[in-house]
Amino acid sequence: MSEANKVAKGQREAEEPFYAGQTRILEMIASDAPLPEILTNLVLLMEAQEEGMLCSILVLAVDGIRVRHGAAPSLPEAYVKAVNGAPIGPRNGSCGTAMYLKRPVVVTDVLADPLWADYRHLAEICGLRACWSTPIFSPQGDVLGSFAMYRQEPRGPNAAETHLTQIATHIAGIAIERQRVQETLRERDARINLAAESADLAFWVIYPEQNTAWMSDKGRAIYGFDSKLALNRDLICSRVHPDERAAVHAAFDRACASHGLFESEHRLVLPYGKTRWVIVRGRCLEDEHGNLLELIGVTIDVSAQKQADLQLQLQREEMSHLNRVALMGEMTASVAHELNQPLTAIANNASAARRFLERGNIDPVLLQQLLQDMVADSQRAGEVIRGIRALVQKDKTVVRSVLNLNAVIADTLRLVSSDIVLRESVVITEMDRSLPQVEAVLVQIQQVLLNLIMNALDAVEARPPAERRIIISTRSLNGESAEVSVRDFGTGLPKDRPDKVFDHFFSTKQTGMGMGLTIVRSIVETHGGKIGAENAPDRGARFFFHLPAARGDSKSQAA
Amino acid sequence: MVDTSRLEVGDRAICMTSNDKSDAEIVCLVDDDLSVLKSIQRLLASDGLSVRGFNKPKEFLSHVQAHSVPVVILDIWMEEMSGLELQARLSELSPDTRVIVITGRDDPGAKLTALQKGVTAFFTKPFDDDQFLKAVRSALAMHPTE
Repeated sequence: MSEANKVAKGQREAEEPFYAGQTRILEMIASDAPLPEILTNLVLLMEAQEEGMLCSILVLAVDGIRVRHGAAPSLPEAYVKAVNGAPIGPRNGSCGTAMYLKRPVVVTDVLADPLWADYRHLAEICGLRACWSTPIFSPQGDVLGSFAMYRQEPRGPNAAETHLTQIATHIAGIAIERQRVQETLRERDARINLAAESADLAFWVIYPEQNTAWMSDKGRAIYGFDSKLALNRDLICSRVHPDERAAVHAAFDRACASHGLFESEHRLVLPYGKTRWVIVRGRCLEDEHGNLLELIGVTIDVSAQKQADLQLQLQREEMSHLNRVALMGEMTASVAHELNQPLTAIANNASAARRFLERGNIDPVLLQQLLQDMVADSQRAGEVIRGIRALVQKDKTVVRSVLNLNAVIADTLRLVSSDIVLRESVVITEMDRSLPQVEAVLVQIQQVLLNLIMNALDAVEARPPAERRIIISTRSLNGESAEVSVRDFGTGLPKDRPDKVFDHFFSTKQTGMGMGLTIVRSIVETHGGKIGAENAPDRGARFFFHLPAARGDSKSQAA
Repeated sequence: MVDTSRLEVGDRAICMTSNDKSDAEIVCLVDDDLSVLKSIQRLLASDGLSVRGFNKPKEFLSHVQAHSVPVVILDIWMEEMSGLELQARLSELSPDTRVIVITGRDDPGAKLTALQKGVTAFFTKPFDDDQFLKAVRSALAMHPTE
């Protein structure tokens, strides 16, 4: 071995612990060791390379103004405390100035250099004489902190010391940058979690290739999964209500096939039979080659809203039913009359038949007609009862059918004809023959008409008989919707806001609940229509509602 | 003897009379409900009465201007014209005509008004056939013969 090789080998042997030290520190960074521990180890490693050298690392706060203690295991505590929290600036010691100027600052004699004016006394007590500080940069060129070397004699750095500084700032940069990124991620995570928790959102990720899945704690709570249970797509789907499972599967497969979006509102059935309503939204993520990586998404538990909606729906149906029963009460004259007529005819026909038979001169043809009429009248009475029952019974099957409103109005008027006569009122109809047909629930539209007609009858009640007029008219609105108008000649509506009559509990009647018109409006709106009320130009009120034409019946169609 | 085979139903007057009867023997009936009208006609005919039915009040009014009517049975609640209104017109046109009112509704007010205005009898549908026929016969008997 030559002398030169021997020197080189000696150098390598001397350097080996230094390399090992660097490797150890890089490993600490990779394993996310705490930053102070990493920086302290780095400083100690550097100090071990030169006799009589002290080092320190300062970290620039995220605000970019103040410095924070990073590591200074060998410097006096008083000095460390004094520096921590100091601002950077053009004359703030070696470190504060280096970070401010973004370049190394070499102070060969702190007792003489103006940069140290504020720290001179402290340096003197601590026995520090020279201080060379170099900024630590992020890969983007931002200042992350500074690395400083101190000597007890006034001088500048030698080549070896400059080299060590380069290594130290490089490693410190990696450590601080990594810690900053992780802090940002943690903050973002915390923010997302906060947002998710406030919105009651649950996160999930499905990895179709690996057949695994991940779910946030909130998600496991919604789906009823134990926190340790390993998840996959099938397990998640198994919670979907059996009636909706196929549709959810199909939507999921579609999203995966198109690498698109997944959206679904469905029920979950949890262990022990508890049911939840959820809204689920997800999207596919691809890798850089366009391969499906994962499906990420959120689930929100909307059971409470659903429950409230259902409750509201039930209440609305209940009110609607009560309204129909109340209407029936107002229509007693018509109901009694409608039943009385066929019953009277049956009774008279039966009496007549008995008398003809007693006299023994019955014509078989007449007897047959008589019996036929009795059958027909029985059926007529049955129809009346069926009609009442349909109107009074609760909405079990709410089926829409294509209706001609002109015919519905005529039928409805027949239902209340006796009440109209009894109240000595006249109803005039003006029907538009080109009225488009509508798609609606017959009983509900009858309910709307009955409410409007009974209100109109009430409105004209106080007028002299000759003026107790009600005009019901229909017209086609460009063939796109059918309008029905019920106009009375009563005292009219509140002048300031005629549509106040649609509000809950608004009533001008002694006996009214003030719910009729509210229900009427809700029925019309459920059918996609609109309702309004206004005062007619001369006197009285006009109520009008329109319903959209049935599909395929936008053009005019005769009744 | 009533010719039952000539029972006709139509928009105009519905007759159930034989040609040999004079107006003084024929009971008129006004009801806008066709099946009730027919059934009362039959009831009257089954008791041997001659009857002429109308399902439009106005047609009866034109009839009464040309014929003598001893007894008329009126329905109160008709759409075109109420029975009480018809009665008022009738008392001008034919004050001697006896009026029997039938109604589908138990209405004390209407009954009082009708009786005050000289109605002979008041029946609420459905009514007892014997009492009804008895009332019709006694009204016929009360009518001064020409």
